Amino acid sequence: MTKEDLIATLKTIVQPYIQDEDAFDKLSEDTDFINDLKINSANLVDVILDVEDEFDIRIENEDMEQMTSVKAAMDIVNEKLAAK
Amino acid sequence: MIGNDIVDLKQSPSSWKRPRFLEKVFTEKEQHRIHTSQNQHQMIWLLWSMKEAAYKLHVQQYEIRFFNPKRLECELISEDKGIVTVDSDIYFTNSNITEDYVYTIAKQTINKAINTSIFKSETFNYLNQSTIIKQRILKSVSETEYLDIETLEIKKTEIGIPEFYSKSVKLPIHFSLTHCGRFSGFAY
Repeated sequence: MTKEDLIATLKTIVQPYIQDEDAFDKLSEDTDFINDLKINSANLVDVILDVEDEFDIRIENEDMEQMTSVKAAMDIVNEKLAAK
Repeated sequence: MIGNDIVDLKQSPSSWKRPRFLEKVFTEKEQHRIHTSQNQHQMIWLLWSMKEAAYKLHVQQYEIRFFNPKRLECELISEDKGIVTVDSDIYFTNSNITEDYVYTIAKQTINKAINTSIFKSETFNYLNQSTIIKQRILKSVSETEYLDIETLEIKKTEIGIPEFYSKSVKLPIHFSLTHCGRFSGFAY
């Protein structure tokens, strides 16, 4: 999966939970789920579960700890996909 | 330092019934408490609000963010009082449970006096909500601390912790803001 495809997939996943449309429109690797997209923390759990379902992976709580940005999510997804 | 969190029980932020949600968020002990509770919905959001309130305090204290609700372990002492442990730190929580919402405040010492308010939001737009909560707390702080509201403002640190400033000088008042569904609240 290319970097662009991965970002596009993550963008679709977070869409239902975002509260800042401008930040969503400009979503990039540097976008923060909480500070930029204003996703609340309960919905961040949803994002993680959706990522698990979409890529058929499991994210342990230790990996989840830093998963608060698009970049961090990409790193974890890539790592999990590589280990499959 | 202080943390607060409100959950609208009629418009809760997420569906805890989806597979793996509870396992991601709650320790085994907490899950047991939930499963043996008379009102699971209320218990889930009570424990959640305790974790959130304690997390907000913890982030003020250490200025390091993390997302791992299980690392914040809840213990209920009574229906509305609890303890949240994060690694070696202990925070005391006080919750207010109604039919409509659960509201929790986390403190470092039990007896610390606080100012807090919960109010209904008139808007569903995030930016408007955020503006209204800030206006409310600024008004309250200006009155209780005898400060000129015109000089007061709220700025966020790089990791998103809100702080008070008066004429560009940072004030030593810690506070916490919360919003969920129909309700907003502040505490300091």
